[in-house]
Amino acid sequence: MKRRDLMKLGLAGLATPAIARMAHAQTARINMFTSSDANISDFWTNVIAPAFEAQNPGVSINVVIAREGGGTNVIAERALAALRTGAGPQMDMIESHDPFIPAGGIDEGLWVNWEEAGLANYGRINPLAIQSPFGLPYRGSQVLLAYDADRLPAADAPRTWDELSTWIRENPGEFIYNRPDRGGSGGNFVRRAIHEANGRDPSVFTIDNFDPETSPAMLDAGFELLAGLAPHMFEGGAYTSGNANSIQLLAQGAVTMIPAWSDMVLQAINEGVLPENTGLIQLQDLALSGGFSQAVVPVNAENLETTIALADFLLTDEMQNAVITAIGGFPGVSWEVLPAELRERFADVVPTSIPTFPGGDWGAAISDGWYRTVAPNLPRE
Amino acid sequence: MSISVAQDRGRGQTGLLLVLLPVALVATLIIWPIVRAVMDTLIVTGPDGASLSFASYRFFFTDAHSMGNLRITIWTTAVSVSILMAIAIPIAIYLRFVTGRTAAVVQALAIFPLFVPSIILAYAFIRVLGPNGMVDLILGSFGLPRIRSPYLTPWGPVIGFVWDNLPLSVVILMAGLSNVTNNAVEAARDVGAGKFAILFHIILPRIWLSILVATSFVVLGLFSAFTFPYLLGPAAPEMMGPFMLRTFGDVMDPVQARTQAVITFLICAVFGWFYVRSIAKNRARREAA
Amino acid sequence: MRTSEPFRPDWIGLALVVTLSIVIIGPMLVVGLWAFAEQWRYPSLLPQQWGLRFWHQTLARPDVWTALRTSLQLSFVVTLISAAICLPAAYAFARMKFWGRDMFFLSFLSIQAFPRFGLLITIATIFLSLGLVGTFWGVAIIQLVNTLMFMIWIPTAAFQAIDRKLEEAARDVGAGPIRVFWSVTLPQALPAIVAAIMLTFVGTFYETEGAWLIGAPHVRTMPILMISFINNQLVIQLGAVLSVLLWVPSFIFLLAARRYLGPQGLGRGLGG
Repeated sequence: MKRRDLMKLGLAGLATPAIARMAHAQTARINMFTSSDANISDFWTNVIAPAFEAQNPGVSINVVIAREGGGTNVIAERALAALRTGAGPQMDMIESHDPFIPAGGIDEGLWVNWEEAGLANYGRINPLAIQSPFGLPYRGSQVLLAYDADRLPAADAPRTWDELSTWIRENPGEFIYNRPDRGGSGGNFVRRAIHEANGRDPSVFTIDNFDPETSPAMLDAGFELLAGLAPHMFEGGAYTSGNANSIQLLAQGAVTMIPAWSDMVLQAINEGVLPENTGLIQLQDLALSGGFSQAVVPVNAENLETTIALADFLLTDEMQNAVITAIGGFPGVSWEVLPAELRERFADVVPTSIPTFPGGDWGAAISDGWYRTVAPNLPRE
Repeated sequence: MSISVAQDRGRGQTGLLLVLLPVALVATLIIWPIVRAVMDTLIVTGPDGASLSFASYRFFFTDAHSMGNLRITIWTTAVSVSILMAIAIPIAIYLRFVTGRTAAVVQALAIFPLFVPSIILAYAFIRVLGPNGMVDLILGSFGLPRIRSPYLTPWGPVIGFVWDNLPLSVVILMAGLSNVTNNAVEAARDVGAGKFAILFHIILPRIWLSILVATSFVVLGLFSAFTFPYLLGPAAPEMMGPFMLRTFGDVMDPVQARTQAVITFLICAVFGWFYVRSIAKNRARREAA
Repeated sequence: MRTSEPFRPDWIGLALVVTLSIVIIGPMLVVGLWAFAEQWRYPSLLPQQWGLRFWHQTLARPDVWTALRTSLQLSFVVTLISAAICLPAAYAFARMKFWGRDMFFLSFLSIQAFPRFGLLITIATIFLSLGLVGTFWGVAIIQLVNTLMFMIWIPTAAFQAIDRKLEEAARDVGAGPIRVFWSVTLPQALPAIVAAIMLTFVGTFYETEGAWLIGAPHVRTMPILMISFINNQLVIQLGAVLSVLLWVPSFIFLLAARRYLGPQGLGRGLGG
């Protein structure tokens, strides 16, 4: 019953602005940018857009695909320039974007503050997923270890960080992860090492407790672990430039194990890029960190009201179910607010929680620190 | 005397008029944004107003990591350009003096990479020279050992750059070689000049401007190139292209990123200055003659 | 082959053909194979499963054709305008004296030498204030700027290297300055001009930075579409299909340009 009430609330919150808007413009076209993997853009085109368009006649969603990394940053820069000149940015939403980019964007009030946007469903969001009031976490995914089960029997697959380290040392050249700034699978592997070196307690790191004096030492402890493993990595310390490149090396049999996003590795198996007998395992002492996609909307968006309605729509039961069932993702809302039936059905596949690592200053420090201390692969005693 | 001065002044105005449009475009859309970016790196806004500061440049030049990245960029550029010229000059000379079906095929092959986007080449590279790639497969089928793959080493981007820039260099050099007349070569041969004498005394002096143009274009392209160093090169040291974008987007330090951009630009500008100087000298020599 | 030695086989040429085929066509052949592969995994020498699935997927998309048309239109328009404004400028840089000549000439270097990311906000601001963001002409202008260096530096070097004695000879027999330019100067510079035009055309066709910054989300060119196809894609076949598709017009263009770039064309240009 409680859930029904929430649903009603959600629908009410959604219907009002949509109707108000329809009075003015019959044909709103929402420009929604994404630089995520192909399964996410397909999800938008085939699931979210039709559902939202059906509820809002006259509205259409234009899914614009950017190249990885730089693409959406350029559009965000353009939106900031538009804000300064009072022009329209020709962009309504970026489905997954770090609101701290471009620098100064938040200070100048570029992004919609979700806490104040009046979303009916905002209270349903998993509090652990919220990194900043400007990013709306509507989906998450976890990073796991994917391995070639022909060469490593499932029974021998490592289950803890220590077992994994031992396995890497005993099988030199068989493991690779990507550079932490070039994709979350490597990035979260690096973060798992930092967790390991700091008592396996993710709560030690929060979005606003980065301290330039003491924090680097905490990160360095994790980098030390990685530097120790570096000589045993692929080619004695080579790192790929993206999630997809690691999966390709696994597919070509050049390595035996990689960290990978769960949704991406499942897609790779479905499309025949990876063989059926690819093994998947999560560390049991503490899972590899996952991440939530932060949707951002600029305050000067051409279709601001409709886009805010869309943001609210993303958090409804219907869409959150779809995140789990269609892309094997992790819901942005708390598990408790989702139907019990769904929770039970996916209990085995989707963990009840995934550890996350805050972004902002932490993210910048991890990336730069890794490049300076782990990547150079200096000869070490 | 007075007439010639007047004529010069007239020609001066015509010259300015002819270059006006391109210069105006560059000034508004490139130079002006650059001036603003440079100002960002030099002016620090503190609590008591803005002030001039070289701190970001001092950081770059005292930071071992940044300097290492600059060094690998210079190394990659020097090696790539040398290899490229060693390949492109002979091909261009061959194409200048030989006609026929074989030459046509050589030309089509040499220009083909122009039509291949670098991202596709990067994938092809990984599939061919990468670990367990095509070369390994072929060697393996003969029972030979696998190669030591250049993927994720500094040689990865070098191979990519040479492949990608071959057409540009060959085309520019061929255009330059059209200034070497058959008569000049015949005349030299008639007085008994050998192949190398013709190369060094007839051909190279006539195309060295083109060599400079080709080298400049390749160097400029390489210095802030992104795709090859990012997809094929090692994580560290990294070339300036990926380094700048990482500093900008990921380390979220736009001032340091722009500082890196300005330093990259100044190194390229020094290179460009040599080119402009040599053009000017060339012109002076001709005008004196 | 030189006409005086008609029966000597072109050994150098054959060696070049073999080497270049392996080095240039080899990797592309692998991409070509990928376009027809539905599954290809190590350690198989050839794809395990062939098929046209990705060709159907690509050719069935209407946006592929729209993007191809947009790209061709942009490339033609930009190359044409670029040639129209740059070739006279190149002649001026090579032959005339005027205030600030070397400085202006050097300024074109900044187009290629200054990394674009540092300039995005300022460039976007200019285009926004002119209302050009998301329009065809906005993209055309930013791409035009990108072509200036090629279109000025290459022809300038060519005009510079021209043998002045021929021009003087023509003038001595009474030809006017325009006639000298048209029948003596231009033919000598033609190979370089054609080279610059070709590089400009292809460079514009494959340009992505400006097309994305100014064009998104309304102007979609072929390479932008291609990036969206192979963006983080595990399956590289779609990109491979598009490349193979694009090689066809490239080859036609190459054959057309060959007449001017080829040895015979150059020879004729020289009047010999």
